[in-house]
Amino acid sequence: MSLVVGAVLLVAAVILFILQPMLSGRRVSLLRDMDEPTEAESRRRVTLLALRDVEYDYATGKLDETDYHAMRRELAAEALQALERVESEVAAGPGGAAPALEEEIVRLKTGLRAGTTCAVCGTDNDAGSRFCAYCGSPLVPAAQANPARPGTA
Amino acid sequence: MNVLGELALWIALPVALLGAILGFVAGHRQRGDLQLGAERSVYAVFGLTILASAGIISNFLYDRFEYTYTYSYSNRELATWYKIAGLWSGQRGSLLFWLLFLMLFASIAVWTNRRKNREFMPYVVGTLSTIASFFLVVLLFADVNPYLKLGFTPPNGAGLNPQLQSYWMTIHPPMLYMGFTSFTVPFAFAIAALLSGRLDSRWINITRRWILLSWFFLAIGIVLGMRWAYEELGWGGYWFWDPVENASMLPWLAATAFLHSIQIQESRGMLKVWNMALVLFTFTLTIFATFLTRSGLIESVHSFAQELKIAYIFLAFMSFIVGSGIVLIMWRLPKLKSENQIESFLSRESAFMFNNLILLGILFAVLWGTLFPLISEGVTGTKITVGPPFFNRVNIPIGLILLALTGIGPVIAWRRASKQNIKKNFTLPVGIGLGVMAALFAVGVRPFEEAEGVRVFSQSHAYALATFGIASFVMSVIVIEFFKGTRARARIENEPWPIAFLHLIERNRRRWGGYVVHAGIVVMFAGWAGSSFNVNIRQTLQVGESAVIPSPLGHDYKLTYEGMSTTAATAANANSNLAFQLVALLRVEKDGKVQDNLTTEKRGYIAQDQPTTEVGIDSSFLEDLYVILSDVPNMRGAVQNEPGAQTATFTFLVNPLVGWVWYGGLFIAIGGLIGLWPTLTGAGEPARTPTVAAARPRRPVPAGAAGD
Amino acid sequence: MPKNARFLVGLVAVAGVVTYLIVTGLTDTMQYYLTPSELVAKVDADPTVHDMGVKVGARIVPGSYVKTAAGVHTFTVEDPEKLTVTMPVEYEGDLPDTFNDQADMIVDAVLDGHYRNDGVFVATTVLTKCGSRYEASPEAIKQG
Repeated sequence: MSLVVGAVLLVAAVILFILQPMLSGRRVSLLRDMDEPTEAESRRRVTLLALRDVEYDYATGKLDETDYHAMRRELAAEALQALERVESEVAAGPGGAAPALEEEIVRLKTGLRAGTTCAVCGTDNDAGSRFCAYCGSPLVPAAQANPARPGTA
Repeated sequence: MNVLGELALWIALPVALLGAILGFVAGHRQRGDLQLGAERSVYAVFGLTILASAGIISNFLYDRFEYTYTYSYSNRELATWYKIAGLWSGQRGSLLFWLLFLMLFASIAVWTNRRKNREFMPYVVGTLSTIASFFLVVLLFADVNPYLKLGFTPPNGAGLNPQLQSYWMTIHPPMLYMGFTSFTVPFAFAIAALLSGRLDSRWINITRRWILLSWFFLAIGIVLGMRWAYEELGWGGYWFWDPVENASMLPWLAATAFLHSIQIQESRGMLKVWNMALVLFTFTLTIFATFLTRSGLIESVHSFAQELKIAYIFLAFMSFIVGSGIVLIMWRLPKLKSENQIESFLSRESAFMFNNLILLGILFAVLWGTLFPLISEGVTGTKITVGPPFFNRVNIPIGLILLALTGIGPVIAWRRASKQNIKKNFTLPVGIGLGVMAALFAVGVRPFEEAEGVRVFSQSHAYALATFGIASFVMSVIVIEFFKGTRARARIENEPWPIAFLHLIERNRRRWGGYVVHAGIVVMFAGWAGSSFNVNIRQTLQVGESAVIPSPLGHDYKLTYEGMSTTAATAANANSNLAFQLVALLRVEKDGKVQDNLTTEKRGYIAQDQPTTEVGIDSSFLEDLYVILSDVPNMRGAVQNEPGAQTATFTFLVNPLVGWVWYGGLFIAIGGLIGLWPTLTGAGEPARTPTVAAARPRRPVPAGAAGD
Repeated sequence: MPKNARFLVGLVAVAGVVTYLIVTGLTDTMQYYLTPSELVAKVDADPTVHDMGVKVGARIVPGSYVKTAAGVHTFTVEDPEKLTVTMPVEYEGDLPDTFNDQADMIVDAVLDGHYRNDGVFVATTVLTKCGSRYEASPEAIKQG
């Protein structure tokens, strides 16, 4: 007898546990969370990581100086491109981007072009600096409108 | 408890099926309410599986021998710890144990993602619940229900195989199962990526740690298994290319390939189809490994009908996974286009690709060798087997190429490297490798053996010499890499060297953890190579007599048989399974100096008629002295302590470098932990501009449209 | 493109080496894995099988184990599916701990060796699988 009661209780508990929240109208979100990186952002992050690797490979003598400079320019340009995509994604969002954000992006973009904004950590540096004051990475200007290498979109 | 446990198993199946349906429908219709129910059902199945497992453990603890499973793997005298471990001693229990881990990991995955990665979660829950349903169907309908009853109650159980009564054996299977089951999470996210259409590297970023975790558990599980074989099986080796061993190695090889190839996708946006195929393949191999280890299909001399039933269920499920995986990949092919191309043949990407190819080459060789008896029986009607000679012949040369690649990869830059740089970076390591080979040759490690004055080429010695050379090359590459990295950081950041070294690892733990794992693999290869110089001498000794064993390192061991002590079953050990114990004591002298005493035993167990052997091992850094009490001709007399009955036959083994296999395993564990250790501050990844992310409003992204 | 060609060459080379090693490895190391009755049938058809190394899967006949004065282990195995076919075995190594010829046990053995002309199987290795013992049928348990 106690066995039957136990079985009924167990089944009831399971059913209640699963169905109760559904029936009472509770729901979970199925939307992408706002502080989750979008594709463009993760591309930018990956580019920055690649920049870090290039720095490291150069520092440990695995890259030629010419290759090193070429790659840095390419990667800085890719990071810039990714940033532009982030910008367009934000602009495409409901209600457009907040004015403060647009300013932020413009600041980052001009900084990256001029070579004063650090591509690794995003810190603004004084014009003419050769190394980032915050993280110590060398600063280089991004190549303007990268002469599209095949497949480096 | 036991009745409740069995009931829980029956309730779990409909709940898991419900979870699968709710999950997929929630994803398809974008219904958050259904998804809540689906996630709850994952937790519910986990809870029910805990109940079912607790029921099995209580069957063991309370000696309920009316259950076939308890009867077969326990008896009243069994130590409590082995009764608890009874849950995974045999086929029936271990399938439930598998499900328990699967649901544990599924619940962790659902819980940690309850507020993030929501677009994936319906499909993730659906996939996880489908796999859980499969295992429940197997448990309930494939004649492997651990709650099956005998129909009467025997007075005592049949007892646990003494070889399984070992500390290693109780932790080795759980490690492997954790490795197998945790890979289900990356697989579920991959399926979710295919179904939801978000096919960038996000699913890999989410599951990176899971993949590493699964790989880590598999590696540790395999090494523990080797350690168990070395200590308990008593033949002096640790790997026999047994189908069960091979089965655990297959998913590990695939996971290793996957760990490397996802790095290319993450950094370069390439190999998307390849990675999808690889995650599908690796997961199928974990199922296959479970099937192979637990169905007894290959080992058994003849097939049993009931085993065929479980074989068909598993084969059907594996075909379903592979089939639907291929269909999904084909369907999403346009979205899986590579974002980049390989820029140069001389690049780390290309080294990684060859690493993948070679790992898969080894995998196919092992798979083919393992399945060959089945295939040949199916095709020609005659079972044909291949043994260790086949696996060694094929895998040693490929393994050496792989080992060499381990040294080449890190020195080549991403994207493109120049020949001059490669030359510059390789000169020293290659020099060291050749130097080590020359030095070893000079001290006597040569590719031939001398038998009665005749020199015969020895392939195994030649391979060993090559292994030592390549291993020193790779090791020097890794050491130089650590040195250069630290130096560069010390210079740039102006830090003292020890701090620069720690920061270096901290900043990119995946890379440096990976190098530590590589170092472990190198050490292990050296340990394997050492085995080609093993010494094996068998000798019968009276008490007081000695045997002289030459070590390949040049010195001699003199072992003197001091005597044999006997312990019959007494009141003191009446509660243990031990019936008697014969301990032979040997005094070890190395080059005339007394070094140590070794004991080796024969043990008799209650409910086991044949005694088991406990070996004596004297380990040192460079070699193990391994003594087996092979035979006691007058066993009964020896147990009664009759005079003159103590004559015994011993097998003496000298195993050079065998300890390095375990040291290598330790390195692998440390390297894995470096990579797995949770990042507290996000160190090692460049900061994202916080303003951009914080200011972005929540955008509704329907799963089907995401990623366009 | 030469770049792609180099990859293709590398790929084909790796695949070729692996295939070559597997194929030659198989032909050089493969062994028949037979039951006693299959072995007897093979030998009748082709006497050269006597000299071949083969693997035999068989069941140890309870009570058949005798150790000779010279220390050679001798026992008899039978075909698990055709119990009338038996075969004497000689073996000079260490028997595994799980080797057993007790009457209430079913122990399967995998023997490596060759089938001598006089009908004795000379084993070089003996592995035992006693899985059947653990999953014995209820009837067997009752009798035991």
